[in-house]
Amino acid sequence: MIWVLWRQHRAQVAIAAAAVLAFAVPVLITGRKLADALIACRSGNTCGGLFDGYQAMTTLVNITVAVPLLIGVFWGATVVCREVEAGTTALVWAQSITRRRWLWSKLLALFVFTLASSAAVAGLVTWWSNTHNAQVESRFNGLQFDIQGVTPVGYALFASALGFLAGVLWRRTLPAMATTIGGFVVVRIAIENYLRPHFMAPLVRSLPMSSGGDGVPSGSFTISKELTLHGHVLSGPITAPTGCSRSGTRETMDECLNASGFRFRVTYQPGGRYWGFQWIEFGVFAALAVLLVASGVVLLRRQDG
Amino acid sequence: MNTPAAALRVAGLGKRYRAKWALKDCTFSVPAGRVCGLVGANGAGKTTLLRMLAGLSRPSAGTAEVAGAAPADDPAFLAEVGFLAQEIPLYRRWSAEDHLRMGAHLNPRWDDAAGRERLQSLHIPLGQRVGTMSGGQRAQVGLALALAKHPRVLLLDEPVAALDPLARRDFLSTLAEAVVEHGITVMLSSHLVADLERVCDHLVVLAEGRTVLADDLDDVLAGHRLLTSGRRDTAALEREHTVLRVERTARQVSVWVRLNGPLHDPAWEQSELSLEEIMLAYLGMSAGRPDESVVREVSA
Repeated sequence: MIWVLWRQHRAQVAIAAAAVLAFAVPVLITGRKLADALIACRSGNTCGGLFDGYQAMTTLVNITVAVPLLIGVFWGATVVCREVEAGTTALVWAQSITRRRWLWSKLLALFVFTLASSAAVAGLVTWWSNTHNAQVESRFNGLQFDIQGVTPVGYALFASALGFLAGVLWRRTLPAMATTIGGFVVVRIAIENYLRPHFMAPLVRSLPMSSGGDGVPSGSFTISKELTLHGHVLSGPITAPTGCSRSGTRETMDECLNASGFRFRVTYQPGGRYWGFQWIEFGVFAALAVLLVASGVVLLRRQDG
Repeated sequence: MNTPAAALRVAGLGKRYRAKWALKDCTFSVPAGRVCGLVGANGAGKTTLLRMLAGLSRPSAGTAEVAGAAPADDPAFLAEVGFLAQEIPLYRRWSAEDHLRMGAHLNPRWDDAAGRERLQSLHIPLGQRVGTMSGGQRAQVGLALALAKHPRVLLLDEPVAALDPLARRDFLSTLAEAVVEHGITVMLSSHLVADLERVCDHLVVLAEGRTVLADDLDDVLAGHRLLTSGRRDTAALEREHTVLRVERTARQVSVWVRLNGPLHDPAWEQSELSLEEIMLAYLGMSAGRPDESVVREVSA
């Protein structure tokens, strides 16, 4: 079966290997340069313009956020579905190999590839971003959380599993690919916005008005910033208390508001939880992947039973 | 002389998809070494039957025995059975050579040399992508793969339906040679009666998901007659024999019949039926009732 899998998918493997290699070369070269530059600029405290001239490279690294989706669309949605669509399952199943073994071999190949390629890209990005992380407020911000560490691997496992299930349901490759794109984007956005902030109980800080709401430890994941009066959250337009004169300076205004009981309340996850969050997010997507694969296997068995 | 063991034995076999029975109460047996034609209208359940026999689909009712074992998703069973699906599925981007290598990797009794020789003797280039081959060549590659597996029972689902007459002839002679050489049992579905007459010595006919006939081909030909008579009444005939089709004109009645014994009534004039006529008579029946038609004669 190993020979058969290799003969079937060698072109796909070659394309993926070439793409990873083509990505690795500039990442390794610029990564070394940036790391050296960071050490040099730190002594002179001139690191502000460190990434000047690396715009294209930063964009390339950020684009890797799409790698899991590409894996899901071009591997997950094709590995089993293309055979079902072309009817070649009837050829393989007419050999002396059980359908169960065929399916598990296919899935094993799919997930070994998914793991290997997404881990390679994520590893390169994580290493390259060491310099970048030193320059940004928090690794939780922007795309940093989604392209570094173990989360991209979790996303890729999920995307491949989703592609497999979509292929089993549609039995045609193109709609399976489209379903994979739609499903992946929806689930990623939903989990990022609605689930991720609650992976652990957040910390809350009450900050004086003069802070402007900035005052959580560096590297934190800020979830929300609210204005409170005597501990109650305010919403809508706010009327300043009559005692606080509009004509005064910003400082006297803040002073006055503080005295009247106004505070900023910031809800956040401290930076030390970064890896905890990485593994939880990975776990959530890996668990979803297991669920989708199991459903696909059951459905496929039922379809041809 | 001892009777050879049955290579295919099917009893009450049925397959239901949701509420609809694709095949129901199918019963027959085929002795080892036979080439059995499987005939039926579209949707009669031929593919369903062959897929169940090949172990690709589970029966909803009844039992089947192929080469002495119940069909199952099991390597030992699968090694005994060759199956060529209707579309002749092959990897379009692979060469015949690649397919042979796949067979060698996935089958315990693979006869690589025989597969190669068979294709070479048919002048099929082993290195050419099968996607660029003609339908006839692809069918031959499919057959060579099924035969190189060395099955005891070979199941072919309309393998020649899409082929031109010459490719059909070549395919069937390859098949006939292999049967003689290896003594395998073959079940082959087809619409083309002429092809069945060339290669088959046994016949199973399905209509509306049931077996209506399963017998040795010579017995089939000997046991069916076209009876004609000026009399109108067929009731006595229907009591003793199986009437397949009745056609009445103003002057006479013609009856297609399976004789269940000697014909006593001398009023009926007998003539032999071709295999094609017998098939058509069976396929025209509905719910086990004869196909009755009245032909109005055009006045001259």
